[in-house]
Amino acid sequence: MVRALFESPLVPVANEDDAVSTCEAALPHVADAAGRMLVVHVVEKAGGAPDKASVEQREEMADELFDIVRERAAEAGVDVETRVLYGTDVGETILDAAREEDASAIVFTPREGKKWWDIFGHDARDTLVDDSDRPVVVLPGAAE
Amino acid sequence: MSDEELAKDLGPLAALTIGVGTMIGAGIFVLPGVAVAEAGPLAAGAFVLGGAIALLTALSASELGTAMPKSGGAYYYINHALGPLFGSIAGWANWLGLAFASAFYMFGFGQYVTQFAPVPSVLGLGPAKVVALAGAALFIGINYVGAKETGKLQNIIVITLVAILGVFTFVGALSANLETLRPFAPYGTDPLLPVTGLIFVSYLGFVQITSVAEEIKDPGRNLPRAVIGSVLIVTTIYALVLLVVLAAVDNSVVANNDTAVVDVARILLGPVGAVALLFGGLLATASSANASILASSRINFAMGRDKIVTPQLNEIHPRFGTPYRSIALTGAFILAFIVFGNLELLSSTGSALHLVIYGLLNIALIVMRVADPEDYNPDYTIPFYPVLPIVGAIISFALVVFIAELAVVLTVVLSGFAVAWYLFYARGKTEKQGILGQYILSRREEMPEPAVSAASSVQPDGGKYRVMVPLANPESEKDLITLASAVAKQRSGTVVAVNIVQVPDQTALSAARDQGDHEAAQRILEQARKDAETFGVPVETHTILSHRTFEEVFDAARTYEADTTVMGWGPDSHGSPGRAESAIDELAHDLPCDFLVLRDRGFDASNVLVPTAGGPDSDLSAAIAKILRDEYDARITLLHVSDDKQEGMAFLESWAADRDLADANLVVDTGDVESSIERHADNSSMLIIGATERGLLSRLVSGTLVLDIVDDVDCSVLLAEKKRERSLKERLLGSN
Repeated sequence: MVRALFESPLVPVANEDDAVSTCEAALPHVADAAGRMLVVHVVEKAGGAPDKASVEQREEMADELFDIVRERAAEAGVDVETRVLYGTDVGETILDAAREEDASAIVFTPREGKKWWDIFGHDARDTLVDDSDRPVVVLPGAAE
Repeated sequence: MSDEELAKDLGPLAALTIGVGTMIGAGIFVLPGVAVAEAGPLAAGAFVLGGAIALLTALSASELGTAMPKSGGAYYYINHALGPLFGSIAGWANWLGLAFASAFYMFGFGQYVTQFAPVPSVLGLGPAKVVALAGAALFIGINYVGAKETGKLQNIIVITLVAILGVFTFVGALSANLETLRPFAPYGTDPLLPVTGLIFVSYLGFVQITSVAEEIKDPGRNLPRAVIGSVLIVTTIYALVLLVVLAAVDNSVVANNDTAVVDVARILLGPVGAVALLFGGLLATASSANASILASSRINFAMGRDKIVTPQLNEIHPRFGTPYRSIALTGAFILAFIVFGNLELLSSTGSALHLVIYGLLNIALIVMRVADPEDYNPDYTIPFYPVLPIVGAIISFALVVFIAELAVVLTVVLSGFAVAWYLFYARGKTEKQGILGQYILSRREEMPEPAVSAASSVQPDGGKYRVMVPLANPESEKDLITLASAVAKQRSGTVVAVNIVQVPDQTALSAARDQGDHEAAQRILEQARKDAETFGVPVETHTILSHRTFEEVFDAARTYEADTTVMGWGPDSHGSPGRAESAIDELAHDLPCDFLVLRDRGFDASNVLVPTAGGPDSDLSAAIAKILRDEYDARITLLHVSDDKQEGMAFLESWAADRDLADANLVVDTGDVESSIERHADNSSMLIIGATERGLLSRLVSGTLVLDIVDDVDCSVLLAEKKRERSLKERLLGSN
């Protein structure tokens, strides 16, 4: 049997708006598939130099994002696991985590069309789409 | 690799270059001209003395850094050890000190650029200032959008600089003539300390290493090496370069020469040397400024985390992932300082502010050692304690005196501002008490009276937990106050009893106040005060006249900054809400604090039943159960209903352990949730139910949700719903 896309997807969230719109877009699908999701936030590391913002600061931000996610997932009745990831390349870090967890798909919502790229850094979206060894689902975000 | 290792990716070299890179700019490339003009070859002695003073503090910073590798560095240690009053001083001094230093570095950068590029004066600002402003704007911009590539450049820049300076020193030494070093102190030794104060801005960098301590690999080993190593390296470089320069050329070439090393290099190495040193000067001043801007946002973050400044300052940019507000504000300071300052004022104010921090840092170390809190386990310990930190503190403060008068005045004014900032702004917000305050207040008996009263009078009060109790009828007053007092007592907080007197719509509130209708209210509040006082908790009382009662509870919770509201609910508490259901729904959707609603059938906390299915509101139930256990030795029973008994028990065990309720009686049931709860409630004196659904409270009170359980059981029922604030967007668009 083919594995359902939304059985255990990995869902990256970048910021508060992204967390809200991604939850709105993804949760109904995951609930429908009776799946569970792993929501991740990537703390971008400079790789041997001071980062652009304190790691503790971005971990705090991740906690806030995860609170939003957990609350919405609870309302939708979806089991959710959250994890902070660290990496110098946001796209690669997401792909590695998806492989490690054997995610059924990588699910995200593009926000504001083309501007999406700079939320995750320059080529995270391209990396996800081009290099993924598993399905990548781009869901339409909330209309702005 | 573990997450821990991934998050901490600064190796020993990277940590070292943060320090060296921040420091090396000023001492070599900007200050020799001024220093030699005032002290002659003795200026080299001033650099060595400055390095020695910095080293004392570097040792203390290393110990504190290995004990607390936290973001914010020096500010964090001082706030932690000495409390938020000194934390405010250290935070502001570190933040503004870095802004002054950055302005100074950029000024030096401007002097180097104007060596080769003809820059016009603009609006009365000299060419160097024009370049400084443009350069500062550039580096602020880079940090605002956050290019991670700039960080990696730092290593290359520092290594390049050290190489350039090494060649320069070597060639210089070949043509050195010791005769030009005599007289070594042409103006006597008097200028030594003032010049040390002036050039001290060259030794600010090592403390910035501690501000990124959380990112350093194996901080117990690498942090002291980087901090102490960077001071030793730059001190050696400063002294050697200056000696070689002064031995190789006549003093007059250097004195008052803004870009002295460039001219010396031209004499010694020809045009190639001049270009190399010019290039070095640009790199050095730029990397110093860049590193300082980055460090200042860490300090802002740490200050915001302790609520010394508003945490909003630290919001992360949704696209760039940078603390953009902090960077923009720091940038505005830097630009203003460049416009209004001059080279000497900028450097000496930057030095003076940092000397204040260094003095406090040494004192912080002594406090930590004396108080010796359990979690203070530094991997590195300072040698010759307590002599070195005491000497370090005294010398750091003493050197301030030798700094140019205007800078000292500015430092005193800014420190005064920081104290006022704490007393009038931050004191009501910050919650963190310093180790020093805790130490003194925990030994009231042995400590001298003035110390105790000083310590208690500057304690933060932002942490006061406030439990509001809206009181409606005298019958339930005692039970509600009992519950509220228990919560307040366990959280060292205050009970805020309010009586909301309903005034008929046709009566104006002001008229009602005059009529003295609220005598009954006074009686119930008086009783509340007495009851609360028997628990030994502070209590304040308020009477509110309102046309609405139920709705007023929410407003009052906001007005009195309640953390928890304890209210009764029953046939005749607070009447029935006088508004349309939707309005209450709207209100209660947005809970300003945690709510505990008591369906009172007599307060008896001997046997407490807490059903849980997980989720945030049952966290609150757990917290309340814990309070009742600690206050009344309540026996707690946790109930979980699950289809699979084993799985359910596993869940319940870990849930209880996580919430410090491992000693509770654990029960796992199968079947219908409600009947299971009712069955177990028979043996309980109180049932605590977490609102598993949002808005449960509103629906309960407006009668649209009838929880059968609440009516079916015989014991008191406490409904717990957690604070929920919707964002403006959710409020405007309505939430689902």
